[in-house]
Amino acid sequence: MAQTYPQVAGELTVSFKPKRKRRWGGVVPCLFIFPWIFGFLVFTLGPLLFSLIISFFDWPIVGKVRFIGLGNYVDMFTDDPLFWKSLGVTLKFAALFVPLNIIVALGLAMLLNQKTRGSAIFRTAFYLPSVISGVALAMIWSWVYSGDYGIFNYFLSLLGVQGPDWLNDIHWSLVAMVVASLWGQGSMMLVFLAGLKGIPKDLYESASIDGAGMLRQFVSVTIPMLSPTILFNLITSIIAAFQQLTLALLLTGGGPMKATYFYAMYMYENAFKFFKMGYSAANAWFMFLIVLSLTFLVFKSSEAWVFYEGEMKRKPHKKSKPDGRRRSA
Amino acid sequence: MRKTIVYAMLIFCTLLFVAPLFWAVTTALKSQSELYLFPPKWIPSVWKFGNFAEAWTVQPFNLFLKNTVVVTLMSTLGQLLSCTLVAYGFARFQFKGRDFLFLVVLATMMIPWEVTMIPLYMEFNYLGWINTLKPLIVPSWFGSAYFIFLLRQFILTLPRELDEAATIDGANKLGILVRIIVPLMAPSLILVGVFHMMNSWNDYLGPLIFLNDQSKYTLTLGLSQFKGMFGVDMQSIMAITCLISIPPLAVFFFAQRYIVGGIAGTGIKG
Amino acid sequence: MKKKISLFVLATTLTITMLTACGGNNEIANGGKTQPAGGNESAETKTLRFATWDTGDALKIQQDIAMKFEASHPGTKVQVEAYADGFDQKLAAGFGATNPPDVMYMWDFPTYHQSLEPLDSYASEDKDLNKEDFYAGLFNYGTIDGKLYGIPAGFTTRVMYYNKKMFDDANIPYPQDGWLWSDFLDISEKLTDKTKKQYGFGVRAENDTYDLQGFVWSNGGSYISDDGKTINGYMNSKETAEAIQMFGDMVKNGSAVLTGGKGQQSGEDIFKGGKIAMWESGIWPLESFKQAGIDIGTVEMPAFPGKPVKGVVAESALSIAKDSKQKDLAWEFIKYYVSNEAIKMRVADLPVRISVVNELKKDQDPLYKPYYTMLERSDNTPAFLMNTKWNEVNRQLSAAVEAVVHGSDALDALNQAVKDSERYLK
Repeated sequence: MAQTYPQVAGELTVSFKPKRKRRWGGVVPCLFIFPWIFGFLVFTLGPLLFSLIISFFDWPIVGKVRFIGLGNYVDMFTDDPLFWKSLGVTLKFAALFVPLNIIVALGLAMLLNQKTRGSAIFRTAFYLPSVISGVALAMIWSWVYSGDYGIFNYFLSLLGVQGPDWLNDIHWSLVAMVVASLWGQGSMMLVFLAGLKGIPKDLYESASIDGAGMLRQFVSVTIPMLSPTILFNLITSIIAAFQQLTLALLLTGGGPMKATYFYAMYMYENAFKFFKMGYSAANAWFMFLIVLSLTFLVFKSSEAWVFYEGEMKRKPHKKSKPDGRRRSA
Repeated sequence: MRKTIVYAMLIFCTLLFVAPLFWAVTTALKSQSELYLFPPKWIPSVWKFGNFAEAWTVQPFNLFLKNTVVVTLMSTLGQLLSCTLVAYGFARFQFKGRDFLFLVVLATMMIPWEVTMIPLYMEFNYLGWINTLKPLIVPSWFGSAYFIFLLRQFILTLPRELDEAATIDGANKLGILVRIIVPLMAPSLILVGVFHMMNSWNDYLGPLIFLNDQSKYTLTLGLSQFKGMFGVDMQSIMAITCLISIPPLAVFFFAQRYIVGGIAGTGIKG
Repeated sequence: MKKKISLFVLATTLTITMLTACGGNNEIANGGKTQPAGGNESAETKTLRFATWDTGDALKIQQDIAMKFEASHPGTKVQVEAYADGFDQKLAAGFGATNPPDVMYMWDFPTYHQSLEPLDSYASEDKDLNKEDFYAGLFNYGTIDGKLYGIPAGFTTRVMYYNKKMFDDANIPYPQDGWLWSDFLDISEKLTDKTKKQYGFGVRAENDTYDLQGFVWSNGGSYISDDGKTINGYMNSKETAEAIQMFGDMVKNGSAVLTGGKGQQSGEDIFKGGKIAMWESGIWPLESFKQAGIDIGTVEMPAFPGKPVKGVVAESALSIAKDSKQKDLAWEFIKYYVSNEAIKMRVADLPVRISVVNELKKDQDPLYKPYYTMLERSDNTPAFLMNTKWNEVNRQLSAAVEAVVHGSDALDALNQAVKDSERYLK
């Protein structure tokens, strides 16, 4: 009755080895995932294919549609400096934002995981920015960052520091965007917190008995036990970084001098400012491929570092114990 | 000593998160002449609570509230049901093409809406759903990738022995899901519920694209009506933001202890 | 293998069944309610969709006008659709799916005209419109390739606002019509006090090149040749560069502050805070300046020595979608919307009808007079109406202007912009 599974941590190995026939092999799982399949076929696949098709057309929304084959793609790579510029901005943003986002969210979650009074208040306070809608958020940040009249520079001036005009400074505006984005990390922190709460206490206890210090416990208990959550947050962070648009659109408009001109903004402008729908679709498909391959790489690598307790049936005890204990035992 | 440091850090971070919002609240309460002073005036000299009522009544916000509540509740319900089923399907079954399908699930998260928006609009237009709340509700009943992924990750951390014990007791797969898995993942379900609620409550683009008539508008669309092409009514935006943030905040406040209370207490030992 | 195929068939069947079931439900659900999208018109009530970008008080006015129209046209409902900031997106979706609003606000005719209904026959045949009563020239802004696509409903010119109190405090006389840019620079420098974070003028970090045309024309320059074919020697001419360089220099020497882009703390906000003495804009912020308790004056734009001041008009017009199924009703609505009665209700911008202005004596009011003197000076054709590829060129020009306010040399930046634009004009 019990099913045996190969130890596939990443869960995304696409293997062509014949798999063992199982009783529940066919219909039942499909019934479970059916809602998604249905939704995908009806609400996603059509629009997706449509966008792929129009990426081979010159489609100005208003006006005549014209087939141009790979023209959009060729233009994009050979004839559009903004394409490369915006791609660079997004990559820079992602390189800063993704690791920082994970570190900050995990740090805050661990802070909240401490036994304290009033933890409900602190949790709510940390989550607060995530409840505010985008329009107001951008407005709040513009008042925080304003060079002469901003709250941030006001505090800096109390410390005797003359801050730059953050959002209008070519060197600082992207950093300012990263910080503003980090401020709304509430969901990620919450996912981490839920994950942290799920780590059995006795793992820490036994590690502690074995003489593992706080850092050691963090490395050999927290990180492995939290790895599925980290994987989730890593992938969603990457996607979020590539799709970052709202803040740029509402706060800087891509400026100054295109320093915050994200790829998503470039796509957005091509579509809704210049009405080049076909071109924008080509942009989108290129980004889609980049993010997809990044995600795929992360998943591949996750086989080496992500650890699912539910998949550990055969030898759960040994593996789930922290390294420290095994060594000293 | 350690406790003191923890409290100090907690309070410091709280200030970081709350200070800008505190400013937003006081802005909503200020009189016009105090709005743009520098150095900033943190406490208004006269508290104009009337600003809230004024901003709320200048447009039919009660109606917007009703629409938003309908959309949020209906779509959250759908999201919870569908994502639970789908996540369980991906986490606990081995079938041909599963990994590929799951990659497709993830891939749907990466599609930028800029390109699917117009075809989707055409589709909803064909179905006659434009200017109804349906485009904002119905798709939620078929699962969203982010939540499927989230729930799958949680289910994968649950020991399989539990399923097997129940199988021996004669439960079928749905029975296992309902009786064993769902209670265990209640915290993550609440998490999903809260997340989706926030998304749906604050969604701007969906309502903007699919709704036309003011009587169908949601709160965020109402809010955006204060921000025009040639000027921004900052005070009203802040006032409305404060007001419409209260319900999700209250929900979060009551939900958070279930979200974080959970899995450790369910008797899973290593 | 077989199993897989049968599974696939099962899934597809289920999908289709559910799809049709959902479709059925939908019809039932819709049956009882009033028609939402405006496709089929029921016998009793016709719904006319009218899209606007206006918000706040200006939107209220439009809703009032729509209500008055409904009152005089029984059986008609005007659905005012306020797209605010999302205007272009909504129109893109609407046109893309051939489900646009019947009547809409419009200014960007070069982009949209292919989806709009030409209005020449309506305008010339319908005597009620009384075309001669409109300010001459306003119709030009809605004309592409000799065809009229929009009826003017409101407009504004751009003037210089100044904060009287700040001038009084510094003992500087208020600027008068006919002043020169050198006077302006002088005043701006005197009114700047860095220690108080106070500046004579605010320069936008992100300028709309459209708005800058007034300055360029005033200096005898232009973005584009009169036939609309050449930019080399126009966009990068000495005169054009000079006009734009002036603003870059003000930021550089500190007599003006760089004010935020879209959504940021704007120049209007800082002006309201009494930290900027002079601000250049259309009529839009006037009401909010008054509400903020600033004692303001307006004056026409300064001149370059020996050259006539030129201005630029920003116009809101009304257009009918080509795909509209009730164009006659749409025209009725437009006609009412630009009638004397309705134009009088539109107080958020300037009346397009001469008779209304004369009746209200708007051009006698010292606060409003500069808008009308600037109107007389706005007789150049803006570049976007002169070349269909202007959108692409403008992208390069905007980048150049942005570079200038961030410290680049105007002539270099504009030369670069001309170089980058040339390929679009071939």
